[in-house]
This record gives sequence, C-alpha cells and structure tokens, in this order.
Amino acid sequence: MIGAVNGAVSGPACGVPSDSVRWRRVHPLTPVLQSWQVIVVLLVIIAQELGQNLTQGEVPGGRSLPRLGGWMLAGGGLVLVVLLVVIGLFAYLSWRFTRYRVTSEALELQQGVLSRKFRQAPLDRVQAVDLAQPVLARIVGLARLTLEVAGGSDSRIQLAYLSETEAHQLRNHLLAAAAGVRYETEEAPEAPEHFDVTVPVGRLIGSILLSGLTVWIVVVAAGFAVAAVVAGSGGILAAALPVALGGGGALWQRFAAGFGFRVATASDGLRLRHGLLEHRTQTVPPGRVQAVKIHQPLLWRLRSWWVVEVNVAGYGGDKEGAAPSNLLLPVGTRDEAVAVLSFVLPDLGVEKELPGVVVDAGLTGSGTDGGFVSAPRRARWVDPIGWSREGFRLTSNALLVRRGVLHRELDVVPHARTQSCGVTQGPLQRKLGLASFALHSTAGPVSPKVDHLSSDVAAGLLMDQVARARSARAVAGPERWMERSDPLQKPPERPE
Amino acid sequence: MSSQSISAASGEPFEPLGVIWSRVSPGLASARRLVNTIAELAMAGAAAVAAFLTGSLWWLAATVLFVVLAVWGWWLIGRQVAALGYAEREDDLLVYRGIMFREIVVVPYGRLQYVDVKAGPIDRAFGIAQVQLHTASASTDASIPGLPPSEAARLRDRLSARGEAHLMGL
Repeated sequence: MIGAVNGAVSGPACGVPSDSVRWRRVHPLTPVLQSWQVIVVLLVIIAQELGQNLTQGEVPGGRSLPRLGGWMLAGGGLVLVVLLVVIGLFAYLSWRFTRYRVTSEALELQQGVLSRKFRQAPLDRVQAVDLAQPVLARIVGLARLTLEVAGGSDSRIQLAYLSETEAHQLRNHLLAAAAGVRYETEEAPEAPEHFDVTVPVGRLIGSILLSGLTVWIVVVAAGFAVAAVVAGSGGILAAALPVALGGGGALWQRFAAGFGFRVATASDGLRLRHGLLEHRTQTVPPGRVQAVKIHQPLLWRLRSWWVVEVNVAGYGGDKEGAAPSNLLLPVGTRDEAVAVLSFVLPDLGVEKELPGVVVDAGLTGSGTDGGFVSAPRRARWVDPIGWSREGFRLTSNALLVRRGVLHRELDVVPHARTQSCGVTQGPLQRKLGLASFALHSTAGPVSPKVDHLSSDVAAGLLMDQVARARSARAVAGPERWMERSDPLQKPPERPE
Repeated sequence: MSSQSISAASGEPFEPLGVIWSRVSPGLASARRLVNTIAELAMAGAAAVAAFLTGSLWWLAATVLFVVLAVWGWWLIGRQVAALGYAEREDDLLVYRGIMFREIVVVPYGRLQYVDVKAGPIDRAFGIAQVQLHTASASTDASIPGLPPSEAARLRDRLSARGEAHLMGL
C-alpha cells in the first residue's frame, strides 16, 4: 500500500500497486437491461392469462368482475409480483456482487452471488477490445465491453454495462496499456483514426443477394413450389414456412451485422464499426491478426467483390449471435480488399515485384503468375478443375496460399504467426509424387492448405516454413507493441 | 521400449534427412488389438446367435465378415503402430504416422502452449501413455500414443523445458 496516495481513486492509472486500485461497479441500470427480456416474456404470459380470465369471467363492459374471476386475477397478479421481485432481486444482487478494476498489469473481474468467480486478464495478452451496444443499451447510453485474451472463448472478460464514456475511456486505457504506452493526462487519449473503408448499403444488399445462401434459398423455394404444383396441394407450402423463416432470418442477420460497416486504422489497431440494431466497435491491435483470408463467392465475380476474414486468437471461430467477429470486410471491391489487407500486414515482404501484383496473382491468377509455386500438371488426375489455382508464394514476411477456381481464395499468414505445419499424402497422391501442405493457425475461418504440391516441394516447404517462422518470430516486436516506437506519434504507414 | 532407426532417403516429405525416428512401444499394438478384437468378436458372436436363431445365410455371412475384420484389424494395427514415429530435433518436434494415408506434423517448441499426458485403464494395463502437444492452433494434431510412462514423463518435462526456453508468445 505504498503508492496509495496518488491519483488511483480518480480512475484507472498506470504504475500503481495493484492492491491500491479501487474496485468499480458496472452501471446501476445493468440489472434492468439484463432482465428486461425475462420481464417482458412474463408480462406477455400474464397478460394472456388475464385476457382469458376476463373473457371466461363474462364481464359485461369490464366493470364488475365475478367473484371467482376476481380471485384468480388477484392470485395471478400476486404470482406476477412475486416473480418480478425475485427476478429483480436476483438481477440486483448479481449487479451488487459484480465488480472490476484495472491494475497496471491486468483487468480483473469478480462475479457471482453464490459461487464467486474471479477472473484476471493480463493486459499484455490483449488480443482485441470490443464495444457492443444493443438497441436498448444504446437508448440509455450504455455499452458492453469485451476484452479478448488468447485462452479460448471462455477466457474473455465482459463488462456489461458501462456508460458510453466510461466504456470508451476504459477501451482506450486497455489498448494503451496493452501497447505499453504511458500517458500523462488523466484519461487515455483516443487514438486518432486515419483511413477508412465503408460498405455502402446498396452493395451490402447486392452482396447478400448474390451470396451462396440466397442461391440455396432460391433453389429450396423452387423445389417446394414444384412439389406443391405436382402434389396439387398447399400443404407443402406450409412445411416450407419454417425453412423460409430460417433462410430469411439468416439473410437478415447478415444484413443487420454488416450494416454501416466501416474499417479504420488507428495507432492502437484496426477499428471496425458495424451493426444496424446492435452497434459494435471492434479494435484489433496490430500484430494480433494471425491469418487473413480474401475470398470471392462465384456470383460476386459479376461485380468483382471480395470478402476479407481474419483469425484472431480469442475470437475463436465462434459466432456471437448476429455478428461474427472474424469479418474484417463483409464486401468490398478488389482495391478495398487489398487496402484492408495492407492495414493488417503493412509490409508484405515482397522485394522484386510490386506487392499489388503478387496479391492480384493470388486473387485471380493461376500457374506461376506473380511468383507463385503451383501444383504440377500431373495434379489434374486428382483435382481436374482446381489444380491450376492450387499454389503458394513465399515472401520474406508471409506465406500466401492461393486456391479455388469457382470460389477463389487467397490466404495470407505472416511467418511470425505460424503455429505448426503438416504434410499429408494419400495413396493416389503417392503414386503421382504429390503431397498436401497445411499450415496450422489459431481457430477461425482461415485454415491455409495447399493441395497436391510436388512432394519434394512440399517437403522443402514444411521444413523451411518452420525455420522461417522461428526466425521471423525472433525479430518480431515485443508483446507490448508500442514499447519500441514513439507512442501515438507515428501513424501506421498509409496504404495507397 | 522405443527403438531407433535412421532414415536414408531425402526429397520425400516423410523422410527428412538426418532425422532419427523414435518408435513407440509395441504395448500400443497389444492394447489396440485387444479393444478391436473384443469389439469385432462381440459383433461376430451376436451375428452368429442371430444366424443360429433365424437360420439365415446373411447372418452367417455377417459372422464370417466380422471374424475376417478382426483378423485384418490385428494385422493392420501392427502395421499402423510400426509406422508411428516421432523425433526431437533442436528446435522442433516431428510426429509421423500412417502408411496408406501418411501424415507428418512439425511443431516448433516455441509454439507449445502445454503438454498433456493421458493414460486410460487399458493403456495402463499395457504400460503405455499418450503425450499430446497443444499449440494455440486447434488444428495442430500432434499426439504421440503408446509411450512407456517413464518415456512419456521424460518427453513431457523435456518439451515443457524446451517450450519455455523457446517461448515466442502467440
């Protein structure tokens, strides 16, 4: 308790001994926000019961209730009140017992009424900081903060709900602390944002209409229509209703999650904003992206649109309701996709050619375009269509993996983020002298794999890639990425 | 006990130059054979009972099939276990498996998050344990089954020590 005198009381501060940092509570409106759905459901049930009682009680004009109906009404009301009180009490208690604090080393959260839970997230392990505002929270000016550390989906810390300003300040502080930035002011400065890519609503709708999901829905709908005509009855259409609801719901989710999507770069990371009903702001610090995938569903070729997804440790592969966190750009032109790639990986490590040429070759090229090493011609015996696109390109910083003739895909993994590698070979491949190379990244949508390489190429790639990963990691920056450079001074290199 | 053999050829992904492969304990083959044979013979027995009760030739064929599967499994497991290998190199660990469908995985020590040692009741009866390597990637499928417990413990400690020495973060 030596340093307890200085400004620790006024807010999270750096360099203060951890036991002197004040515990804080989440916003007092939290219990209301967290239990309103339960309460609404209860009210609906009670209202229904009430309505039934009233109609059964044959109330003329609703003025005087028959005795029995009145008692039932009173009983129902009592149950309702008791339930509300219990829910309210529980919500209040769980709020009362939830507290958090930010020490110089970690974010700590204490929860639980009966079984106490304590969770600590070390700040130098921060993988991403997200702010989310569901509709109701937005109306009352609250936000939920989620801190991702790399320990699987269960290791994240979620603070619900904080006031908007508090959430923003905390976010900035966490990112600054994770970066190793020291600041003199009371509050962490918000990192200025630089460049951004936005997704127009029209394009978002177009991209959803041209997606595989829509095609699937149309095919299924056509199937049901044909069946209904053939059978000559409308009963089949009734069976189609749940399918239609499911499909429509999925389309709506994509739209709501991708609405107003904006990617910006700040010195504390990549900032993604999106959401129609629930607003989300994700911040992924530099170097936390483990792998990038740029791909293109078949029909998007009409407009040359691309989608960019990433692996970030902590996001896992999980989909949090409507908004999958792994989406970096739901739909964009080729230039935008390449720009987003360069936010994540400012230096692709290409010496001779222009990086754009290499990326283009990865997106649409085949054979040895752009310095790619491709599957040999004999691979067509095992993969008659896709073999010409199977290939990889090594740069001094990353491995680019290209695949897919119909659904084109380019994966980029920085050498420093390679976890492990493997080579597999089936009996047919063995006859043809082929082997498949796979690179293991953290959980997420990107799992780079090159099929049917010449087996000696695969052998060389396997051993060299591991060595490359090791040396790249040795020269990579510290976990607190700002400790080497000037804090908040230099914006990241701006892509063209 | 694990024996060692040196692979000669190179240029093949599955025979890297100068790698000394450690083999797993033959106890693994015994354990797997026991489980497989019991399962197949139980099925064969059930089919035989059904054949006896119904007098159907199809059930008889099924009985024969399960017996054949048991014998084939006996042979196959021997081959599979003989094909398992691992090698500790200076900076990484290699795990090798398979004959028809071959697979080799390279795990740099610096990427190890933690190491598990598992041994079920049957494993213990045959004096074997499994060492499982975990990186931050779920797709890293690097497990070495069928190690003698002492070797498993040695490997675990060695891997942990090397992991710490090489630790790279994520």
